[in-house]
Amino acid sequence: MSSESMPIAGAGNLPGAARRVWLETLHEWLITVDHKKLGLMYIGYALFFLVVGGIEATIIRIQLAVPHAHFVSPEVFNRMFTMHGTTMIFFVAMPVLFGFANYLVPLMIGARDMAFPRLNAFSFWMTAFGGLLLYFSFLGGDGLYGAGSAPDVGWWAYAPLTSKAFSRGHSTDYWTVSLLASGFGTIGTAVNLVATILSMRCRGMTLGKMPLLAWLNLVMSGMLLFTITPLTAAQIMLMVDRYLDGHFFDTHAGGSAAIWMHFFWIFGHPEVYVLIIPCFAFVSEIVPVFSRKPIFGYPVMVAATVAIGGVSMSVWAHHMYTIGMTSYENAFFVLTTLAVGVPTGIKIFNWLGTMWGGKIRYAPPMMFCLGFLFQFLIAGLTGIMLGSAPFDWQLGNSYFVVAHFHYVIVGGILFALFAAFYYWYPKMTGRMLNDTLGKWHFWVFLIGFHLTFDFMHIPGLLGMPRRIYTYEPGRGWAIWNMIATIGVAFQIAGILIFVFNLVHSYFRGRVAGDDPWDAWTLEWATSSPPAACNFAVLPEVRSRRPLWDLKHPEDPDWKYE
Amino acid sequence: MDPNETRLTDGVRLPAPTAWPVVLAFGLTLVFAGLLTTAAVSLLGAVFCLAGCVGWFRQVLPHERHEMVPAPPVPAPAVTSRTEVERIEIAREIHRARIPIEIYPVAAGLKGGLAGSVAMAALAMLYGLLSRGSVWYPINLLSSIVFADALHLPETYLTSFHAVLLLVAALLHLVTSVLVGLLYGVMLPMFPRRPILLGGLIGPVLWSGLLYATLGFINPLLNQRIDWRWFVASQIGYGVVAGLVVVRQQRVRTRQFMPFAVLAGLEVPGILEGKEEERSEPQ
Repeated sequence: MSSESMPIAGAGNLPGAARRVWLETLHEWLITVDHKKLGLMYIGYALFFLVVGGIEATIIRIQLAVPHAHFVSPEVFNRMFTMHGTTMIFFVAMPVLFGFANYLVPLMIGARDMAFPRLNAFSFWMTAFGGLLLYFSFLGGDGLYGAGSAPDVGWWAYAPLTSKAFSRGHSTDYWTVSLLASGFGTIGTAVNLVATILSMRCRGMTLGKMPLLAWLNLVMSGMLLFTITPLTAAQIMLMVDRYLDGHFFDTHAGGSAAIWMHFFWIFGHPEVYVLIIPCFAFVSEIVPVFSRKPIFGYPVMVAATVAIGGVSMSVWAHHMYTIGMTSYENAFFVLTTLAVGVPTGIKIFNWLGTMWGGKIRYAPPMMFCLGFLFQFLIAGLTGIMLGSAPFDWQLGNSYFVVAHFHYVIVGGILFALFAAFYYWYPKMTGRMLNDTLGKWHFWVFLIGFHLTFDFMHIPGLLGMPRRIYTYEPGRGWAIWNMIATIGVAFQIAGILIFVFNLVHSYFRGRVAGDDPWDAWTLEWATSSPPAACNFAVLPEVRSRRPLWDLKHPEDPDWKYE
Repeated sequence: MDPNETRLTDGVRLPAPTAWPVVLAFGLTLVFAGLLTTAAVSLLGAVFCLAGCVGWFRQVLPHERHEMVPAPPVPAPAVTSRTEVERIEIAREIHRARIPIEIYPVAAGLKGGLAGSVAMAALAMLYGLLSRGSVWYPINLLSSIVFADALHLPETYLTSFHAVLLLVAALLHLVTSVLVGLLYGVMLPMFPRRPILLGGLIGPVLWSGLLYATLGFINPLLNQRIDWRWFVASQIGYGVVAGLVVVRQQRVRTRQFMPFAVLAGLEVPGILEGKEEERSEPQ
């Protein structure tokens, strides 16, 4: 065990000494440039906003549970779905994935830190302050009725709803400016990850011997550099419209609302892959260890990821079939959308190929990976359905789309994230998460997820539009909405079990040791938690599974690669 | 960071912690926040930004600041309790559940379809003879797919001979039979265990079930005139006969078994054992 364990407990007996230790600790974390601490700060920050975004989702679901409900006002409802979407994408999913990337990439490639440690700290703080600025809008938003109000234009913020005529005060500006600020952090992290992975690998780690997690984060970071910039450009254009009376999105003055849609979705759809590719990375690391087999088809997995990264940047307008594009444009985006399913399917087959014939251990990380596999497959299939223009004309902007999207985000991304938490928590803290609580968490959350999002497809098929405040009885929507809301209660219970497990295991969990899963990548070659410099001696590798080579000198991988 | 560093005994050099990145980030956020509140906030943010930039530059120029941290003890060598390694046997036989390496030629499907069409026609005419006393009844019913008005005419019209209706019905029957026969020729090798059960029984019953469930919506008049027991019997007759004819044909090998190099047209020595043996034989 290292002396680097988090200095929270054991603060001394005297109140003054305790206060001094706390202040020193706070100062240490405030000025740190260590990738591990910054990674943990990203993760902690994202978990906080996960709770906030979850509360907003609960309010939405309670409001929609029964017809003619008035749990909140229409104005608050609009703010809730706007803040829920914005928070979950920009201040939960991205930060938590950056946190894991920050923590794991240098360890897995045998480096001492990120390439630009100070830029790393700057990026985290920009993301953090961006989120705080967004939530300050509840106090300082200066909405239509004079009171402070949060943004209420949806997380797409479509024009012309964002024009000054329809969005008075500064609530929309808070949305724009906070995302612009956090965008600086995102670009900084992407640059840092690319530089680290390309230039900081340990001896012997060629690109062909790099862990899949590093490969996939490289692709994700490259995508971010291409996709964040259109969003940033669009936000600056929107600020010009709102502050300087520009006309980029003003249709009465020669502007175009569709331009905003294009700019937003050039970012928005690849963003889904930016979020899911690191989750593919988690699954690609966890499934082999819990199947006791090397990953099936490593080169194809890399090629498929690169293909996804490329093709996914040419599918954005499948979110816009209903605006009236030409048949050629529709056909192009249908074809590219269907094409992106091919490399994704290859990945699913390769994970199944990895498990095939393996000795599978059903520990919580693997259970969440299996949940991910099944649910992501379903999400992909409904995505293919919506990628077809005629189908989308019928169901675009319905709850079918909401169900599909949440199948990706919750059923795919969140399940993979839970798997990552159970798998790498021992490395981060030196303690194992409780296995029994982990299984309770899995089953309770799984039931909640399926109750909510399986049944959410049905009101969508029956014509229920997204973002409506309430609805009339007798349309056949009520029962499905009630079931979806009941599912949220299960999900909250699952999250509470998870949070309790995180806290309880930190203090009372079984000591993990350096390599509790008998794994094969470099992060398990150092102490748990790792020392400030990561490794006593920088490692040298000869294969994709360096720890396998050490554990099995009679049968090393490098003989076969 | 020094990427060439591999071993340090007295400590490890790491980048020194610094507050300037958080100061710069805070300042930049305040600059943005001033757009939402008041210009004074932006001004304060600009001061923070300036301080952050200067402080940051001084951290890295002229030389990057480092701190020495004690080198941790070298961890114990990685070991595992799972010392036994099992290798998965790769089967010598190629498993092909869906894409067969041997298929029936196109002619097999044609022959099967034609033979099945005769069997189906015989059963249908037997039905006409037994139920209406006329072999033309099922023929005229089939042609009503094209001549829908025929169903509105009295039954005597449907039980009598009409050359045009016979021609249309024969054409429909033959084209459909041959197409389904070709489908059998393609599909049956994919289900090598019980081809007749699939092609002769399960397929026709599923098809009949689909028609039974939907014909009432598609063509209610035709639906009223169909005797479904005889319909199923004629479908099964077609399936069994077509299947039997198809499976008795000689199969041919596909190119699926060939190596990629051969399929790609590459001239690579040693990829086909037979050819190598031929070459090595004494002249």
